[in-house]
Amino acid sequence: MILGLHLLAFVLYATAWVLQLQGFRGGREPGISGVRVVGGGLAVHAAGLLLYALSYRSLPLVGLGPASSSLALFISLFVLAASVRTDLRAAGLFLLPLVLLLLGEAVVVGIEPTGRQIAFRGPWFVLHVSAIFIGFAGLAAASAASIMYVFQFRALKRKTFGSVFGFFPALDSLDRLNKVGLAVGFPALSVGLLAGWSWTLTFGRGLALDNPGTILGIVTWAAYLVAIAARSRPGPRGERAAVISVVAFLVTLVAFLALRITAGEAGFFL
Amino acid sequence: MDDATIALVGLSHHTAPIELRERVYVDATSVRDTVREVMASTAIHECVVLSTCNRTEFYLHAADPASAEAVAIDAFAARTDMGPGEVEAFLYHLHGHDAVLHLFRVAGGLDSLVIGEAEILGQVGDAYEMGLSLPDSVGPVLHRLFQSAQAVGGAVRSETSLGRGAASIPSAAVRLAAKVFGSLEGKSAMVVGAGEMGITTLRCLLSEGISDVLVANRTLDRARETVAQIGGRAISLEDVWGTISDVDILVTSTSAAEPVVTHDGLESSRGQTGSPLVVLDIALPRDVEPGVGGLPGVFLYNIDDLQKVVGATEEARRAEAAPAETLVADHATRFWRWYRSREVGPLIRGLRAHGEAIRLAELERLLVGLDGLSESDRERIEAATRRLLNKLLHPSTVALRQAAADPNAIGFLDRLGAELRLAAGSGQSQEATEDEIEGSGPADGSADAESEETNEARG
Repeated sequence: MILGLHLLAFVLYATAWVLQLQGFRGGREPGISGVRVVGGGLAVHAAGLLLYALSYRSLPLVGLGPASSSLALFISLFVLAASVRTDLRAAGLFLLPLVLLLLGEAVVVGIEPTGRQIAFRGPWFVLHVSAIFIGFAGLAAASAASIMYVFQFRALKRKTFGSVFGFFPALDSLDRLNKVGLAVGFPALSVGLLAGWSWTLTFGRGLALDNPGTILGIVTWAAYLVAIAARSRPGPRGERAAVISVVAFLVTLVAFLALRITAGEAGFFL
Repeated sequence: MDDATIALVGLSHHTAPIELRERVYVDATSVRDTVREVMASTAIHECVVLSTCNRTEFYLHAADPASAEAVAIDAFAARTDMGPGEVEAFLYHLHGHDAVLHLFRVAGGLDSLVIGEAEILGQVGDAYEMGLSLPDSVGPVLHRLFQSAQAVGGAVRSETSLGRGAASIPSAAVRLAAKVFGSLEGKSAMVVGAGEMGITTLRCLLSEGISDVLVANRTLDRARETVAQIGGRAISLEDVWGTISDVDILVTSTSAAEPVVTHDGLESSRGQTGSPLVVLDIALPRDVEPGVGGLPGVFLYNIDDLQKVVGATEEARRAEAAPAETLVADHATRFWRWYRSREVGPLIRGLRAHGEAIRLAELERLLVGLDGLSESDRERIEAATRRLLNKLLHPSTVALRQAAADPNAIGFLDRLGAELRLAAGSGQSQEATEDEIEGSGPADGSADAESEETNEARG
């Protein structure tokens, strides 16, 4: 049943993305139908995770499958929240593939608890993981806005009035989405890292700087700082801040993949 | 069957030059006299005049379409120095379903100069409202026709993408500014050169919520005249550089031979300003040096760029025209079905009256030889004949309603109507019916079988 709900959510997200692609090809601003499908996908996805929590008496935060699914849920929440503003519906074009990737991974590796459940519980741990997921989702939303900003900026400067011009939102709207992504994600990530540190203290340990999770958290936090600093410089900030935001996200993504590949057993938590 | 139908006589940008369209234009002050003049003809039951800069059309519900058309042609000729024969070369006449389809296409913006433009829907509504304000101008047919047309126009805009995008230079300017700023609420704009196109563009921007307007002109008096009409503040050309860093949108439309806005001038005026500036140069020759577009945060568009936006919109709208045409055609068919079914009502009543006359005559003949029948038996016989008649006529009534919507059945319905009028007029219903029954009725009793089937079908 949990897997079935995840598969259904996957299909709905994929449908929403196809609708976005069709709108992009036609150079038309996205309609309401895609938003409804994302809403449906989100509801089914949330039901799947709720069922997981009820079935295993544990939040889906540990283990690659459940954690990927939860992160996907947070990102799709950003998609839906952005879609409340008509001019930001296009955000799904870049965020939905990320959702599909995470959800697909969850389905492939299995949405089941690992044997490490007992150690990973308690309010600090829940706060730590949830806040970090919101931090990652915020950075993803800010980066999606930035990617669209760069494309739209170039279309407007180069006067190419095609699909990008027609489908992507206004520069100001994208700048706001970037700002909101950073404003929500950075504090959340900071809280998440602090909560994680506090949580390790309960085991009588200090900050383990050689832990892949810690390294990824610090890299992401630094990426946020760079993106925020780029926005606060004087002068026309739009395109520069957008490019830096995209680079910061890519650095985080590369760091995640590198740690996953090289960390071995120590990286199970990523 | 009644010969009345919906008729349309008109001319538009497709058939007539602007000089003629201007002359036949019926404004709000003269529409009352024009309608009164047309409706003086007894052939015309209802009349609505739709007159815009691109079309003037008379929509008529008329007993005799040919006479009604002649009246409308005379009305057109009276507004020109041409005779009816000459003016007719610029006119189109449509009847029935074609006239309905035409109005629905007009309301949907499919017949407009700029496909999908929204203004025409309001003009269709205004024509209808004007008709309502005139005595006897709008009756049940044109009332429903124009209400349906407005609903169709709304459906085209809500159910298709036909109305999206920018279809004129000023609307393209607004779209470009909106792609930079999102909402234009609270933004500021400056127009340099108080020419017609510049002011039209400014009006479009104002309608999108621009709150702060500056008008700069070579002669300050002209700038003051302009702000007196549209609001804002008038400044001289010399003051432009001092205020340009405060505006979000700059529209230039002077007739200067040399660029008015230079790269160096704008660069030094803006300094380190972080906010974007959209520059819309709609002048020929251009008012803004091309290098201005390379300044950070500055988005420069000239008249060619705006044309490209309009072109892209037109292309997208042409692609959307097919679903809109289908939608309009469906609505026209639905309306026409209603209209014909309404028109077939008298025919059905005539058929039933004819049947009832036969029933009563046959009943009377039957009862003459049955004096010994009790009152209740007589009532039972009477009820049986009534039921028989109803069952026989039911499929015919349904078929007539369906045939009413079929243009190929019009000849048949007309003949049936004529036969019924003839039968009613000659008082020979009874004999004719006997002939019909004996001459053309099925010999194998299938009529009874059919009646039984109908009974079963009706439960």
